[in-house]
Amino acid sequence: MVSITNKPLNHPFATYITRIETGKTLLPDSSENVLDVVGILKSYGIVLDAYSKNLIYISENQFLVLFPFFKYFNGDISFQKLLRHWWHDRINFEYAEYCMKAMLWHGGGGLDSYLDSAEFKTRAAAAIQAKFKNNPFMLGLNQLFPDFLTEQVRVLSYYSALGQFWRVMSDMFIALSERYDKGEIKTIPQVVEHIKAGLVNAAALPITYSVELHGKVYDIVPKSIGLTFLADTAIPYVEAVFFRGTPFQGTVSYNAQAHQIPPDQARFAYGALYADPLPVGGAGIPPTLLMQDMRHFLPDYLHKLYQKRSRREEDDLRVQICISFQKSMFCVTNAAILGLMPYPIDTTVPEEQAVNRAFLVNWMDRFMTSRLQDVQVA
Amino acid sequence: MLSALILVPLIGAAIVGFFPKAIAPTSSRNIALIFASLPFLLSIVLAAQFNPTNVTQQFSEFIPWITAIGLNYHLGVDGLSLPLLVLNGLLTCIAIYSSDEDIQRSRFYYSLVLILSAAVSGAFLAQDLLLFFLFYEIELIPLYLLIAIWGGQRRGYAATKFLIYTATSGILLLASFLGLVWLSGASSFALATLDSNALPLATQIVLLCGILLAFGIKIPLVPLHTWLPDAHVEASTPISVLLAGVLLKLGTYGLLRFGLGLLPQAWEVLAPVLAIWAVVSVLYGASCAIAQTDMKKMVAYSSIGHMGYILLAAAAATPLSILASVLQMVSHGLISALLFLLVGVVYKKTGSRDIETLRGLLNPERGLPLIGSLMVLGVMASAGIPGMVGFMAEFLVFRGSFPVFPTETILSMVGTGLTAVYFLLLINRVFFGRLSPQVIDLPRVYFRDRAPAVVLAVLIVIFGLQPNWLIRWSEPATTAMSAIPVVAQRSQLASHTPILKSNPVTFNSLQ
Repeated sequence: MVSITNKPLNHPFATYITRIETGKTLLPDSSENVLDVVGILKSYGIVLDAYSKNLIYISENQFLVLFPFFKYFNGDISFQKLLRHWWHDRINFEYAEYCMKAMLWHGGGGLDSYLDSAEFKTRAAAAIQAKFKNNPFMLGLNQLFPDFLTEQVRVLSYYSALGQFWRVMSDMFIALSERYDKGEIKTIPQVVEHIKAGLVNAAALPITYSVELHGKVYDIVPKSIGLTFLADTAIPYVEAVFFRGTPFQGTVSYNAQAHQIPPDQARFAYGALYADPLPVGGAGIPPTLLMQDMRHFLPDYLHKLYQKRSRREEDDLRVQICISFQKSMFCVTNAAILGLMPYPIDTTVPEEQAVNRAFLVNWMDRFMTSRLQDVQVA
Repeated sequence: MLSALILVPLIGAAIVGFFPKAIAPTSSRNIALIFASLPFLLSIVLAAQFNPTNVTQQFSEFIPWITAIGLNYHLGVDGLSLPLLVLNGLLTCIAIYSSDEDIQRSRFYYSLVLILSAAVSGAFLAQDLLLFFLFYEIELIPLYLLIAIWGGQRRGYAATKFLIYTATSGILLLASFLGLVWLSGASSFALATLDSNALPLATQIVLLCGILLAFGIKIPLVPLHTWLPDAHVEASTPISVLLAGVLLKLGTYGLLRFGLGLLPQAWEVLAPVLAIWAVVSVLYGASCAIAQTDMKKMVAYSSIGHMGYILLAAAAATPLSILASVLQMVSHGLISALLFLLVGVVYKKTGSRDIETLRGLLNPERGLPLIGSLMVLGVMASAGIPGMVGFMAEFLVFRGSFPVFPTETILSMVGTGLTAVYFLLLINRVFFGRLSPQVIDLPRVYFRDRAPAVVLAVLIVIFGLQPNWLIRWSEPATTAMSAIPVVAQRSQLASHTPILKSNPVTFNSLQ
């Protein structure tokens, strides 16, 4: 489709650069991979829907509730639900919070900059005053430690932003599944194209955050700031969750003293694209939480594929889900790369091709320690 | 009633072996399991009816057999043999249950297991020296065949080595028994009527040396042990369970019953040597275990070390130490059976027992998480961690032996530390870390792979928390054994050491 004038280079991942330049995908195209990716994205879409609703509920309805005991109940509290919660028959909303914290911690994008601005502080202060207008203790505390509640509002802003981001992604993945069911999606490039189109379509969607307190609406992140879906949530999300992540406990013991954790956050590589699926299943660790949630909503065709594929039948379902999930995340990343390409991928201008290639090389450098090679064979 | 413990498995063996129609391996197993369960249940009934305060043999059965040579069919059970009988019943059931479903020549295999169980029960029940010897020899044949036919690659070598060693043990035992009866002028081989006190001490020592060598091979004690690691490595998992769990106990049981019981004066003379021998066994077994890379061989050497504790306790011969030796027999039976079972599951699923190859088997999804967790429990029990039966047994061994052999006891305690060393090495290498690429696609673990190990683990914890449920059957009998004049004198000496200024220590006085 594209004539490559400048042949790749000695990059170890030159194959993948060529693949993208020639309109192919990071994940090899096969019917089983399509089934894997679409099936897992369907269950992910359902889970993201729940996560998204809960994040937005927390940001709007649990605003500055410092002991949010029932934050995962979305306002629907009953004794039966409480029992189910304790029995752990529920969605692991903790995973959504883990992603939110990763985004908050790594920052990046317009939201991060805005939350450090004077305007945000003024808006947050107004909301804090309104929230605790009848609570002199909290107002006094706010006077003594002015950063404490402000920081809580920053966290809640990220709750809201991630909730809005996942709202779009959830709908996108469910739509992908519906198109697959109708027979419109048959290849991995089509999957990537669907996601890319979704990202591009939603790119300019505004990201805002308001809370209603005592009948009055307080805009914490107003539309006028100009935060948008792609630049201010999607890209920071991919950076924070797909690439950097956090060296969480439970899968591998990282030894900071032995310099196994880089001192520089930007060099972190613990994200979804790097995660080892094998330790999934350990109690409480973020990947297990997500795989456990997706397990509830696996489409039958994918469930049957797992049972057929594994000698362990149901015993290693969560590891298999994680392997599929990682494949799907490479598709999402592939779509994001295409969406962010400096020039159209089919450009014939040599200078533009060179810039595109430099852009891809930059990405491939980051993939060097990722699981990209593993998903080629898995 | 006691005869049923021998006859039922024999009838079962005959039915499985000579059933007129072809039977599927699973059906053979089920029939064998029924005929193994019946004696086990019967032994529990016996335990329920057993009067622990009566220190004589109970439920006795006597049938004159070949009176011309003084051989009679005389069975009985006391607090020393009862726990071992129950253990034999339990482990036979577990061994049959955990045998491969599609085992080759299944009818022959299950027949041999049942004959083995019957012979072991017979040996524990025999109240006649010659009758004991007969059962002691009979069990060699099925065990030899079980290793030689269903063993690993070097099964022929291991089985032959086992046979040569244990046949030698039998010869030495027979010679000692004959010498004891003839020289003491007894008219029969009846255990109750034998009195060696009239014999010169030198003669007694010679006879005891024969018994010690005979049972030293069976236990086994260093340097008579070399058949055991080979036999364990080559034997299939269920046979290793029986070998470590029950058959080795014939040796320690024999030492207490016939060595200490019949020749107490010689025992007193040789006791310091026995204590040193025990220490050598403990430390040698533990040191060798550290050097092993085969999990099964490590557990086998661990067995050699742990059997040394029983010899130490028996050598001390205080009321508490004799009781401890019985508890250690049961404890080792349960723990070693558990460890061999778990190693067997690891081998069955991964195809390897190599500590340097396996890694990360505690992986929750693709490893063997429950098997790994039970292994952690098993090695903790073996290393004497409180809360499990291994701790109680070893604590009582050390508490009972220390007043008589303080140095040897302390050195043996080093062995407990070494147990923790080699088992932690095993756990760390095999179960922790990232799953090894060689074993990344393990087959599924089923309920029947786990169930026997879970049963043993539960018993190990229950008896660890409530050792009195186990000890109450044996304490009067073991206390009575220490009432043999020479032993009592030793016990009294022990009670007057500066460390223990009380009366002879018994388990109940510790509580």
